[in-house]
Amino acid sequence: MNWGWVASNTHQITAALLQHVQLVGLSLLFGFLIAFPLALLAVRWPRLYGPSLAVTGVMFTIPSLALFILLMPFTGLSMATSLIGLTLYTLLILFRNIVQGLRGVSPSVREAARALGYTRARRLFAVELPIALPVIVAGIRIAAVTIIGMVTVTALIGQGGLGQLFITGFTLSFTTPLIVGFVLSVALAVAVDLALVAVLYWLTPWQRGIR
Amino acid sequence: MTNEHRQRASAEDRETQDSSAIVFEGVTKRYGDGTVAVESLDLTLPAGELTVLVGPSGCGKTTTLRMINRLETLSAGRLLIGERDVMSVDATRLRRQIGYVMQHSGLFPHKTIADNIAVVPRLLGWDKKRLRERVAELVEMVGLDEALAARYPHQLSGGQQQRVGLARALAADPPILLMDEPFAAVDPIVRARLQTEFLDLQRRVQKTIVMVTHDIDEAMKLGDRVAIFAQGGRLARFDTPARILSTPASDFVVDFIGADRELRRLALERLDSLELDAGLTAPRDEIVARARSYLQQAGSSGIVVLDEHRAPLGWLDWDTLKQADDRARIDSLALKPWRHRLYLHDNLRSALNALISAPGEVMPVLNAQGRYVGVIDQLQLTGRLT
Repeated sequence: MNWGWVASNTHQITAALLQHVQLVGLSLLFGFLIAFPLALLAVRWPRLYGPSLAVTGVMFTIPSLALFILLMPFTGLSMATSLIGLTLYTLLILFRNIVQGLRGVSPSVREAARALGYTRARRLFAVELPIALPVIVAGIRIAAVTIIGMVTVTALIGQGGLGQLFITGFTLSFTTPLIVGFVLSVALAVAVDLALVAVLYWLTPWQRGIR
Repeated sequence: MTNEHRQRASAEDRETQDSSAIVFEGVTKRYGDGTVAVESLDLTLPAGELTVLVGPSGCGKTTTLRMINRLETLSAGRLLIGERDVMSVDATRLRRQIGYVMQHSGLFPHKTIADNIAVVPRLLGWDKKRLRERVAELVEMVGLDEALAARYPHQLSGGQQQRVGLARALAADPPILLMDEPFAAVDPIVRARLQTEFLDLQRRVQKTIVMVTHDIDEAMKLGDRVAIFAQGGRLARFDTPARILSTPASDFVVDFIGADRELRRLALERLDSLELDAGLTAPRDEIVARARSYLQQAGSSGIVVLDEHRAPLGWLDWDTLKQADDRARIDSLALKPWRHRLYLHDNLRSALNALISAPGEVMPVLNAQGRYVGVIDQLQLTGRLT
């Protein structure tokens, strides 16, 4: 471990970390924006659930390297390539958890909301989503941790966040960048996961003491 | 509802308040697969009364209830609330003006009790201060502990949850209340208490209430009127509980209300509707010789001994009196006390029950202050049966 290298390259390390966070955040955001409406449709029309699950499932199984190479002819070595790839990987987990969360709302609660005069939209946002929140957040946690690991692969197309450090270490046959990249990447995963747990705890006072 | 609330109610609210009778005109509900849940139903549920819809499962009673707030759509016919055809009103708006209580409270698990109760007023856009006052009022009205207001539904017992469900339904003071088996999911002891309290509440608020149950006892106990449905959504009978029990009118109704309908009828009549026999009484400080002569004159087998407040001490029978010393006070003898106390407001079924274990085959009846007003015997009761 060469601390001198760390000291003289803080700028590069911080930039890699920030890019990593940015890639994770954006792909989760885009993933959610796609998975959410898709999940609403699948809950409303259950027939859509099977096909949607199959499509997002297939995307999830494509090897990441292959996926980036497939995208290259269209978007080149740009950030878009890695974002599209990462977003596709979040879809299966987010879609499945949002659907499960919404389906978990008990029929009597749904019925009560209808009978008391909630409009459809208000029922969704004021009753069904809050109740589904724990399951949805569980999905976001898994997606986030998965994506944090996967971002390092995108270093191969020059957009790798902390993965960039692995490449540096590999080409220079020098372990310090590898260790720094590894430690920061794991620390990021743990920090994001804990942050999501904290947010959920704060948003669901009614869940405390149930489990 | 306080006067303040009443003043603030919109003109439309007032309109429904004055005319909250519910009228079914040839209402039919047919499902997509061809099953008929309700068959050309004609029924008028009077404003301010509690009507119970009762019948075997699959008789269409719940569908009938759910058509009132448009949780189900009619296939044919008209359903009016006052003068308004429910199908001409926006469903969401209609539902906010009709209270709804369900079997499994259907409380929102993510909202506190106070927020659950405040749901409809909030949908109607009440301001914060008015909301808070109304919630406090309701918590008290349905007999909940104030401390529960900040809790979540899963922290409450089934009975408490059902009270919250009722408070939530009453929150915006709707003129109409629909209840779908509201007491079915709680244990029998809690159920009996909730029923009694609910009757008291109805006496105060005087809503037009429609309640569904499959329990004929509950129907007879709570209903001002009872509508008995037969399979296939036909109305078999619609009348007051007393008239249904005395003249059931069809074999189906007789079967449904059960073999012990005579006993049920007794449960609907109170002791103060009878002319009680004054009975033979003596104060506790009477002497034996005098008591003996009363008994001989009256040709009775015993005498009711009263204390200084005219509360019955016990039954003194001839056998005991016969062997006693002439000058002794009668309260020094072995009096047989009654195991039950019977008041004027008790029903004849309780009277019959009490009589079975009563010494001397008569039962003293007390007024609300616990003072003796007369006796009832088996002969009088059997005379009320047909």
